Amino acid sequence: MTVPMSKPFFEDYEISMPLPSVELGPMDRYDYIPIALILRDTNPLHLDRVYAHERGLPDVVQQGPLNQAYLYRYFTSLLHDPWDLVATKMRFAANVFPEDMLSCGGEVLALAPLEAGGGIVTCAVWQRNQNGDTILKGEAKARIPSRP
Amino acid sequence: MTPDRSGLVGRQLRKATYTVSEVDVNDFLGVVTEPAFAAPAMDSEIDAEIVARRLAPPSFAPFVAVLGLLKTFDWQDDFLFDYRTGTAMFGEQSIEFHRPLVVGESVAITAAISDVYEKQGKNRFDVIEVTFSIASVEKEDLLMSGQQSYILFK
Repeated sequence: MTVPMSKPFFEDYEISMPLPSVELGPMDRYDYIPIALILRDTNPLHLDRVYAHERGLPDVVQQGPLNQAYLYRYFTSLLHDPWDLVATKMRFAANVFPEDMLSCGGEVLALAPLEAGGGIVTCAVWQRNQNGDTILKGEAKARIPSRP
Repeated sequence: MTPDRSGLVGRQLRKATYTVSEVDVNDFLGVVTEPAFAAPAMDSEIDAEIVARRLAPPSFAPFVAVLGLLKTFDWQDDFLFDYRTGTAMFGEQSIEFHRPLVVGESVAITAAISDVYEKQGKNRFDVIEVTFSIASVEKEDLLMSGQQSYILFK
């Protein structure tokens, strides 16, 4: 059984249950300009494809925090309130390039009921590209309410 | 010659501040669409109150951590690393969330180098772990805390 796309309650989760996966993309190189401005990071690796080619890369590299943002959005979209997010732990494993398609998914690792009701759900989360290469992997933890 | 970075453990990095500006959040939402966090239309005084309590999405949190932390250190002085010639990458990031980020609020970032170790992959590299906390400048309450590691290739 997969966690349904409608907001699940704490009672709906089971250990080893897969989270619904989503696909997004293709990634757009023009998105890297506003992201570079927000991050105050004009590293040419993200903006200049000739510079990237000279360093042996197939194209400019999508900024890591943008990859993370897509995985955060995916996980928090499953929560009743996105700010029920408690903690995250993520490792950068590979680069994302323009036109890449990304998929995000996860699996329930642990359930900890809270005395006040509901509980904390810990999930493995991941992001992969169209070739199945892992881009990000880690864990995310959130408060989930009980069914009213 | 590769510098010995083991003596950097415990080094307190400089304090930095960042304002979770409406412009940054709106530009971010132009790329990472999150309708629940979109800018409200300002038509009345009631709307102005809503704007004052507007939250940034959790997906913006890694940006605050990365941006804030980059302001706390100098690659050369604090990491003994020449950013112009060397290659650096983000390693692992862990964040605990204590309360939501409010659009418009200024946050203070404090950070220290908590560990330095060498690893061998295809190449040899140093891992520098930085422990950080991000608090409201005005209210001084904690918003986020965690660790970020940087990989410095040798």
